[in-house]
Amino acid sequence: MRGMVLFTAAVLAAAGCAAQQQSGTAGAAGAGVTATGVKVGGVLTKTSATGYSTKDAEIGARARFERANAAGGVHGRRIEFVGAEDDTQDAAKGDAAAKKLVQKDGVFALVPVHAPNFGGAAFLEQQGVPWFGWATGPQWCGTKTGFGYNGCLAPKPGAGSQTWWGRQMADLLGGAQGKTVWVQTSDSSGSKYGGKTISQSFEAAGFTVVGVNSALPAAAPPPDWLPYVNKIMTSNQGKAPDVVVSVIAGTKFNAGLYAALKKAGYKGVLTDATSYDANILKDPAQAQAFEGVIAAPMFEPFESSAPEIRQMREDVEAVVPGTRLTQHLAIGYWSADIFLKVLEQTGKDLTRQKFLDTANSGFTYESAGFGRIQYPKDHDEPNGCGALVRIQGGAFQVARNMKCFDNVPLKP
Amino acid sequence: MSELLGYVLSGLVTGAIFALMGSGLTLSYAATGVFNFAHGAIGFLAALLHYELTVGLGVPSWAAAAAAVGVFAPALGYALHKAMFRGLAQAGETAQIVGTIGLTIALPALGLFLVDLLGWLPVDVAHPRGLGPTPAATVTVLGTALDTDQLITFGFAVLAAAGLWVFLRHTPYGLRTRACVDRRGLARLRGIDADATSAVAWMLSSALAALAGVLAAPVLGLDSHAYTVLLFASATAAVFGRLRSVPWTFAAGLALGVVQNLVAGYADVFEEVTGLRTAVPVILLFAGLVLLNRSRERVAGSTAEDAPPPDYLAGLPAWRRRLPWAAGLAALLAFAFTAPDYYVGVAAQGLVLALIFCSFVVVTGIGGMVNLAQAAFAAMAALTCGWAFASGLPFFAAIVLGVLAATAVGVLVALPALRLGGRILTLATLALALLADQVLFQVDAFSNGTIGWPLPAIGFGFADTTSPRVRVVVLLALIAVVAWLVRNLERSASGRAILAVRSAPAAATTSGLSAPRAKIMLFALASAIAGLGGVLFAVSKGSITATDLPAFAGFVWLAVVVLQGVRRIGGAVLGGLIAAGFPELLANWGVSAHVGAILFGLGGVILAKHPDGVLAQLAERRHRRSPTSRPAVPQAPPASERVASAAGTAGRGDGEGPLFVLDRVVAGYGDCTVLRGVSLEVRAGEVVALLGANGAGKSTTCAVAAGDLPLTGGRVLLDGLDVTPWPAHRRARAGIFLAPEGRGVFPGLTVEENLRTWLPDPAPVYDRLPQLAARRTVAAGALSGGEQQLLTLAPALVRPPKVLIADEPSLGLAPRVVEQVFALFAELRERGVALLLVEEKATEALAVADRVAFMRLGEITWTGDRGDVDDDRLTAAYLGVA
Repeated sequence: MRGMVLFTAAVLAAAGCAAQQQSGTAGAAGAGVTATGVKVGGVLTKTSATGYSTKDAEIGARARFERANAAGGVHGRRIEFVGAEDDTQDAAKGDAAAKKLVQKDGVFALVPVHAPNFGGAAFLEQQGVPWFGWATGPQWCGTKTGFGYNGCLAPKPGAGSQTWWGRQMADLLGGAQGKTVWVQTSDSSGSKYGGKTISQSFEAAGFTVVGVNSALPAAAPPPDWLPYVNKIMTSNQGKAPDVVVSVIAGTKFNAGLYAALKKAGYKGVLTDATSYDANILKDPAQAQAFEGVIAAPMFEPFESSAPEIRQMREDVEAVVPGTRLTQHLAIGYWSADIFLKVLEQTGKDLTRQKFLDTANSGFTYESAGFGRIQYPKDHDEPNGCGALVRIQGGAFQVARNMKCFDNVPLKP
Repeated sequence: MSELLGYVLSGLVTGAIFALMGSGLTLSYAATGVFNFAHGAIGFLAALLHYELTVGLGVPSWAAAAAAVGVFAPALGYALHKAMFRGLAQAGETAQIVGTIGLTIALPALGLFLVDLLGWLPVDVAHPRGLGPTPAATVTVLGTALDTDQLITFGFAVLAAAGLWVFLRHTPYGLRTRACVDRRGLARLRGIDADATSAVAWMLSSALAALAGVLAAPVLGLDSHAYTVLLFASATAAVFGRLRSVPWTFAAGLALGVVQNLVAGYADVFEEVTGLRTAVPVILLFAGLVLLNRSRERVAGSTAEDAPPPDYLAGLPAWRRRLPWAAGLAALLAFAFTAPDYYVGVAAQGLVLALIFCSFVVVTGIGGMVNLAQAAFAAMAALTCGWAFASGLPFFAAIVLGVLAATAVGVLVALPALRLGGRILTLATLALALLADQVLFQVDAFSNGTIGWPLPAIGFGFADTTSPRVRVVVLLALIAVVAWLVRNLERSASGRAILAVRSAPAAATTSGLSAPRAKIMLFALASAIAGLGGVLFAVSKGSITATDLPAFAGFVWLAVVVLQGVRRIGGAVLGGLIAAGFPELLANWGVSAHVGAILFGLGGVILAKHPDGVLAQLAERRHRRSPTSRPAVPQAPPASERVASAAGTAGRGDGEGPLFVLDRVVAGYGDCTVLRGVSLEVRAGEVVALLGANGAGKSTTCAVAAGDLPLTGGRVLLDGLDVTPWPAHRRARAGIFLAPEGRGVFPGLTVEENLRTWLPDPAPVYDRLPQLAARRTVAAGALSGGEQQLLTLAPALVRPPKVLIADEPSLGLAPRVVEQVFALFAELRERGVALLLVEEKATEALAVADRVAFMRLGEITWTGDRGDVDDDRLTAAYLGVA
């Protein structure tokens, strides 16, 4: 026993020396930056047990970086995009992927990060590595290094919370007065939080929220929708509500809910944040379930005539001809776009610290593509911009173009 | 009221899917003893095939379903039976659980990989098609709107249930299956090919899983995860069928569907507790396990099933045994101080896992209990630590509190373990793990929502754990402490008490050992270790969230450790390093992640052959190679000599050759040889009495004769034909009938069904033995001892075998019944049957015997005619005096 203690002590001492030697080189200045290039890589949920995949974000980011490189790079430096790791929606794998990119591949920043259960936040914040992507989870918010392309979508109580969805819907429906809304979430704390922010958005726009329900099982779609649909159909004093907002992730969930609501005779408006996805129109049964649904993307729809969208289409066509534009592709594209803007403003003399200082001291950037982004403000709240798209006759139509609205403080 | 009716009706449809899935689970478990965690994965594969055929290739939906359910699934079941389940059935519980968990991961990966490889339609989770029209039409039944897919689901479930009932109750296959479920060993002795029966059970069970899978696909989508969730719900139904009764499982499945609907429809009071309603099947699973499935036999693992492998390295000096480990440690330390940060980080992550894995060594390796909740313990400790630190406690105190919390949860889990044993305990830990994931960790105040808690590094003044090198050293030191603890535990009085409780719970209790105390201690220690590992996991990551250590990770961990060897800390360390390093290697080689999952499943196949893991297998291989290690088994004489001696014995007597010959048989159990060259012969129409004291090897001789025990030397001849390599069921069909010690009846089958296992038509038996005719519909287990012995021998009367071997036929019977039994033997002799009667009590046997053989210490000491036996010979035979 005494031998072991001595051994342990000796080993610990040796480790201590080594660690001190190491600390000099960790987080070295100029990591990932050379005179001619900046190395960048991303973390996506390319595959997952539930089938959710954000892999298209890689094409989007690559398309934007290729255009920058074609224009001579940023301050003479080309973007060396090493591609994106797959975290399989597993927090531990996301953490490992972030470590691999920073420690093994030696990237300057992580672009795009688009993984709902990303686990590398603590490591990146501690190492001072910037990361850009879609900030759907609270691990993004309140950091100095995590840059959501449209701000932090999981604000803390008291911080700003979006109102654009409710207000855009009110504009679309010709006013919110006297109209009722049902918000459907699933039985997990993440989905319940989403239900809170979104019902607040509709209340701010003047709608009457008649119910926020989280009865749906979180793990897999319920085999039987009847009990859930019955509740909705009688929530508005025995009648159906005017609007049903679905805050459930997953096409399968939404398809099931919408088909069941229609089977029960629902005639009102259906809206959600995830249905702006060309894949769902491929299957006739599914297209029927989604007919008339109002999708709420947080970027300018691809059907828009804005020049930024035409540019995006051209950029993507140059990289992978024939690619269909998707939500995740757009998120990758706009994340890369904002990263390049910060890179440009930082100037010729580039380190991670200088980059972060530039981004976090009053950075503002506007684009028709994603609205407007301001850091450090949008580290703590969403940028408050969004659009509406209607699914009609098996195709998408722009219902409301991208527009930004003021946030309201999130109630506890 | 109509709303309630609607919930019940459409709940029955959902329940039909649970019922189908659950019935297959119960069927395969009852018939083979393997609880198949991969049952849902088989359903997923069938649904995937159906999708590819319909959406991808345009095959009509009904034809695709027929191909997936009627052809593909049975073929898959058969292949899995051959490759894995057959071996797993003999491999002990831990290997069984781990093997099928491996399949759960490997099968979907294999399917998706093949789809990629063949260039088939990429899987789109949301678009599988139902069996009915697409899109489904709506039909109103009793005021409830149901769609055509739902109606088809219910219709098929009813059809499948009826078909299954007819199959099991009214076909010879069904009878054989039920006989195997009842007493597998006896079934083999009655000429039932238990292996073929298992194959049928697996094919049928796979087809049921596939049917459920195809029917559920339009609702669940092609999501392998959703199929695993479906499996857990179906397991609830199976548990309510006590894992034995298919009809009860079916009914429970239907009821579960209705209960889920009612909870979703009416139980709004639970809304405040996130996850509680989702967890209804899991809560029912746990309740069902605790209330219905109290273990009546074994309470922890048993020596019979989970015997440790022999210590093949026992002969090596201590330094030689430790040399590979010392070298490995030195290499790891050298690596830690020279390799780049990133790779050292991977090694450190591996050691974090290794520390958690050490807890499996305690609870499974030493305690013989399989615990699937280990990830929940680790998460519990990490979250508690994070919460306590965020609430302002000093970091060290927070760590201690975290470990204590895990220990407390471990003790809580140990409480049901006191009542339950074996697979039931495993399922209970599974239920608790899922419950922790779905309810406890969803409490925002505890897990801080989805953001979790940040944790600082552990500092030592001169260094802290942000450096992976420091983490490697700290973890090695902690693992050393755990190894030292485990070693002391094994050698202490408590360790011996645990082993006693594990091997023979009843004997341990009568020796004054407290089984509850031993188990609670094991669980407390194991969960403390897992908790410490969980805290270090969080510390090295810098934060902990509720989803960092999901329940399913615990299953995979168990599989990784068991593959290396769960009885030693070395296996845990190796497992941890492999778990962290292997994905890294695959990524470096650019191999698809599916391939990793498939390889992991192959591990299960290996486990079916080597249930004690890689380390034990390496030691065994070394042992086999070494020339000094051959056991000193009496060598069988060369073939020429054997033929001569057989001819010699055949030449003796009435000029008619012996019908049944044991020729210098050597046999035993493992390394222990029992029979040391036994030769015996029985002629047609002759009764040979084999006498000897307790432990002489008489029952082993019977087992060898019937083919229940393989020979290591010598041979068995029937009618001059060498039947040595034949398995028991083939020998039985060739006419060797063994009435085993105790009673040779299937207690769960009726008298009529018992007779039908050997006779196509039992009517003649009833003519001969009217007392059985009166009780033909009674379960054999309810008969008196005498009636059971008559029932054992009755089939032989109607369809006389060539050879009848009776092991202690008079044991425990009333004298009048003994008379009746021996009258039967006399009658069989008249009809030309060769009889071998094995008895400890000589009197009755000697009364009918023509010849007598005495047996002592695995050898025949004397053979001769009945007339040559006198009291001196009897005394000599039993007391060993010359």
